[in-house]
Amino acid sequence: MSPRNLLPIMVVGVVVVAGVVIPAPAARNEAVPTIKIVSSLPRSGSAKGQTDTIVDGIRLALSEIDSKVTLGGVQYQIEYKDLDDATAAAGAWTAEAETANANLARRDQDVMVYIGTYNSGAASISMPILNQAHLLMVSPANTAVGLTKPGLGERDEPKRYRPTGEINYVRVVPTDDFQGAAGAEWTKALGCKSVYILDDNEVYGKGIADLYEAHARKIGLNVLGHESIDSKAQEFSALMTKIKSKAPDMLYFGGTTQSKAGQVAKDLASYGPPGCKMMAPDGCYELAMINSAGADVLNDRFYVTFGGLTTDKLAETPGGKNFFEKYKALYGKEPAEAYALYGYESGRIAIEAIKRAGKKDRDAIRKAALSIRNFPGVTGTWSFDENGDTTQQEIFGIVVRNGKFVFVSKLTVTQK
Amino acid sequence: MNKPIWASWPLALALICALYPVFPVFDEYFFRAAGRSLGEQMPTMFIFAILALALNVVVGNVGLLHLGIAAFFGIGAYVTGILTVPAYPFEVGFPIALVAGTLFAAAIGGLIGIPTLRLRGDYLALVTLGFGEVVRYTLRNLDAITAGTRGLNPVPPPKIPGIAVDWLMDYRPFYYLAFLFLVGTYLILYRLEKSKLGRAWIAIREDELAATCMGLNVTRLKLAAFVFAAGLAGMAGCLYASRMTSTVGPDAYDFNRSIFLLCCLILGGLGSRNGVLFGVFMLYGFDNILSPILDDLIQVHNGTPRPYPVTLFGSKLVTLPANMFTFSGWRLIVFGLVLILVMRYRPEGLFPSDRVKEEVHPGGTGNGGAA
Amino acid sequence: MIPMTLFAESFDWNNLTQQAVNGLTIGSLFALIALGYTMVYGIVELINFAHGDLFMLGAFLAWTILSWFGLDKSEALKAASTFTLLAPLVLAFLVVPVFCAALNYSVDRTVYKPLRNAPKLAPLVSAIGVSFVFMGVGLFWGGPQDVNFPDVIGALERKAVGEEPPTSAADKTGSDDAKKEKPKSRNLLGPNSKVELTVKHVLILGVTIPLMIALTWFVKLTNLGKAMRATAQNPTAAKLMGINTDKVIGATFAIGGMLAGFGSIVYGLTINTISYQMGFQNGLYAFTAAVLGGIGNIPGAVLGGLVIGLVRSLGSAYVGETWTSALVFVVLIVILVFRPSGLLGARIREKV
Repeated sequence: MSPRNLLPIMVVGVVVVAGVVIPAPAARNEAVPTIKIVSSLPRSGSAKGQTDTIVDGIRLALSEIDSKVTLGGVQYQIEYKDLDDATAAAGAWTAEAETANANLARRDQDVMVYIGTYNSGAASISMPILNQAHLLMVSPANTAVGLTKPGLGERDEPKRYRPTGEINYVRVVPTDDFQGAAGAEWTKALGCKSVYILDDNEVYGKGIADLYEAHARKIGLNVLGHESIDSKAQEFSALMTKIKSKAPDMLYFGGTTQSKAGQVAKDLASYGPPGCKMMAPDGCYELAMINSAGADVLNDRFYVTFGGLTTDKLAETPGGKNFFEKYKALYGKEPAEAYALYGYESGRIAIEAIKRAGKKDRDAIRKAALSIRNFPGVTGTWSFDENGDTTQQEIFGIVVRNGKFVFVSKLTVTQK
Repeated sequence: MNKPIWASWPLALALICALYPVFPVFDEYFFRAAGRSLGEQMPTMFIFAILALALNVVVGNVGLLHLGIAAFFGIGAYVTGILTVPAYPFEVGFPIALVAGTLFAAAIGGLIGIPTLRLRGDYLALVTLGFGEVVRYTLRNLDAITAGTRGLNPVPPPKIPGIAVDWLMDYRPFYYLAFLFLVGTYLILYRLEKSKLGRAWIAIREDELAATCMGLNVTRLKLAAFVFAAGLAGMAGCLYASRMTSTVGPDAYDFNRSIFLLCCLILGGLGSRNGVLFGVFMLYGFDNILSPILDDLIQVHNGTPRPYPVTLFGSKLVTLPANMFTFSGWRLIVFGLVLILVMRYRPEGLFPSDRVKEEVHPGGTGNGGAA
Repeated sequence: MIPMTLFAESFDWNNLTQQAVNGLTIGSLFALIALGYTMVYGIVELINFAHGDLFMLGAFLAWTILSWFGLDKSEALKAASTFTLLAPLVLAFLVVPVFCAALNYSVDRTVYKPLRNAPKLAPLVSAIGVSFVFMGVGLFWGGPQDVNFPDVIGALERKAVGEEPPTSAADKTGSDDAKKEKPKSRNLLGPNSKVELTVKHVLILGVTIPLMIALTWFVKLTNLGKAMRATAQNPTAAKLMGINTDKVIGATFAIGGMLAGFGSIVYGLTINTISYQMGFQNGLYAFTAAVLGGIGNIPGAVLGGLVIGLVRSLGSAYVGETWTSALVFVVLIVILVFRPSGLLGARIREKV
């Protein structure tokens, strides 16, 4: 019996002894009481430009209180961690990364608020996990209706995301039901008679395209067709040639820059019907869209709906001006993407909920967030409704002009 | 090298894996140090290990290049999804879904295998690749059945009669479930390799023509391996769906997944079960454990990575992208270099099976390695 | 589920012709890439997985060259004269193929050559590794998002037609009329033709067809070409005849790389979007084309490319956009089941 043969069993022995002997780690280091806030956003991949500004917005909100909050006489240090739910390999969010982030937040007893997600599909994965941990989720970007609104999504939505029956998810952005309808009415107002609808077949894109289609039919637009694209395809010349033969006035694309909106716009210009405009929801409202499609293709023919003001209009409102100055003071530049505002609002909601709860307790913070009413937001006062959605349901119309997103008008939905 | 059974490293490692959750202090300390839980990640890794072992049957034992294993993994996951989610009327339990997923994946494996297995190696590789893509697109497009890219959701956790188990909050039940399946798969494959069927497979890998001349029905044997691997992959898919509590979405079963598993096999050693497990541990660990931890550390020390402009004599030469300053940004290059270097300097993999070692270095005693 | 527009509506022959034209043009681009796969396979029996990613790096180099001249900014593109548009383009056409050829050649020397006698799987796996490394480089080069490739052809077209860029007019109705005018003047078959043939179509065909003819001539009639065919048939015999097979293999890699280089520029100029992942998708189609035609067979690769281009465009038009990629692979599997060596591949009997 050589010692070499004994080695494996000895290693097992060491592990067992270590497991028995090592004391459990000392309780939390109470010298500096800590509350953690994490965010889970796609930090690698093409959504990075937007998530950068969201993270900057969150950091700005925290810097306003110097990352400190006093609860019941104890001063807590707020630690913020910026988690990535995308992988470099996929270039977009992955279920594994989002699951891992949710589990990490759930497990770490210091985590009190989970800011995220960016993609509605990712939220549908982390919501049930965090719901059972009573952990508050604040989304700066999810707009899919099914996540919160009963009856508008699938049969068991949003019940399936709430295993405990409690609501733990709030969002600071307007939802798609309003955005899709507003887009349809705007299409009509632009003088278009017929539309062709494409979507990327994902939670967000298909959801909003369906809502757009429903409202478009209601208000008498001629819907010439609705189909999904393959967002992994490289070009859509064949599809555009087909659409050309139908000659719509407007192409609506339910999708994001990550699901090939730029290529759709380019091929529409090269192979599609002459003079056909294109409209897309807020998933395409980012500079990456202009960069990927090229300004020439988009100028004066690409319309976006967005639940907020463009950065230039925002600067004209008093609250927005204030926000811009603070942002500039901290980062030395103005936010590149309009989503900075929602990052900032999410951060402030997180802080407000912690303050209202008055103690470091997940369930109390969750309840406190849902009770927020008349919150002094950047662009106005708003509340959370009974589903955890913001009451600030304003949608604005934006067009690309001279390579920039330019505010056109506030959109309304007249026909319910 | 007649070692007593208790002196084998695989057994020791299996014991350590089995003991890890018994002592919660390990995971506590790991979590404190790294900010991530090892225990949470392990069940998924066990599932990928089963999948890699399945792929090893076709690629390592029989020597057919299979580039579409993820498709069968996905079929298993979706069968489980359809049979268990509340949106469908079935809502059968985990065991029935597991059996159904395994059998269905195996059946599909047979259907695709019968007409294509007579193709030559490279053509077969392309057919498996193409089949994988067809499955992915089908899952994506049959929206009414598979819920498209949203995935079927929620897949309920397994139920153990009489015991209330908190599957979602506690990683340990699933850890042991996946671990048991992995150990079971390992033992079955161990027996199989020693059986008549297993030896016939090796014979095909060594020399197909000679095997035919010896009276082996090569097509049938290949089909058996193909179907067996498909079934195992389907079983892994079922476990994956219950672990993820959803079928995730078609893109989780794409070509990248198949290639990733192939990389695990090659790094560890084709045809070597221990090597394959090691390969999964290395590459999955790199992707899902090491990269996030190191990225967190980089973030803590340097803040969010930003692009870095390189200037030469005051003029901007080039801007280094932000992902160059994360660890995960280098993933593709690291993976690529690992594959190239392993093939160049150690084509038998890091932990080759004795037989392959003998082939690559004939006459050598084959000292070293794990087994 | 599948919109059967083929039967649902009165049949539109113009649309069919247009789709066929589009499909054949894009197919000839696939064919150009497929040639690189098929030549390498023919000579060393290696599926060069990295070929698609080599194509991707070529496209990034072309983009960088055009960016040096400032053409990546739309104002510069508008302001540029015909000469300042053409000069960078010519430079790209000179530099990129050489770069791709050199890169492919050096990868062969450093990675594949030491593995010539290794088991067949070894070089294949190395090729996957090279493909990963190339993708990683592309990821750093262009970032994770889609990159807009400057529409130089569009700019040249506008110069030739003497027309304002279609989008400058702020007035909606005015710009609509301008847009309706524009595509007609773009059409090379005359403004009244229902089928459109644009400069971009002609560019693809104008680059790919001469290259294919040149390649056929080269392989059939030059000494090096003969040596290639000899090496492909039997490397040992070729060596015994005094052929330097290493040199021949190196030349094959270089030529394959050069074709990918030409392909990448044309791709960038016509599709106008490049990304680090484009090598995978296009490489997959090209590889499928090569196998479909019978891998190792040069006319086969061309035929395969055209078939795939047609399947894609007609599939998108008459079956459904989301099913096109699946359709390509279904066609592939069905053809291989009935013709196990591809459309033009020779039936190979196992040597005993």
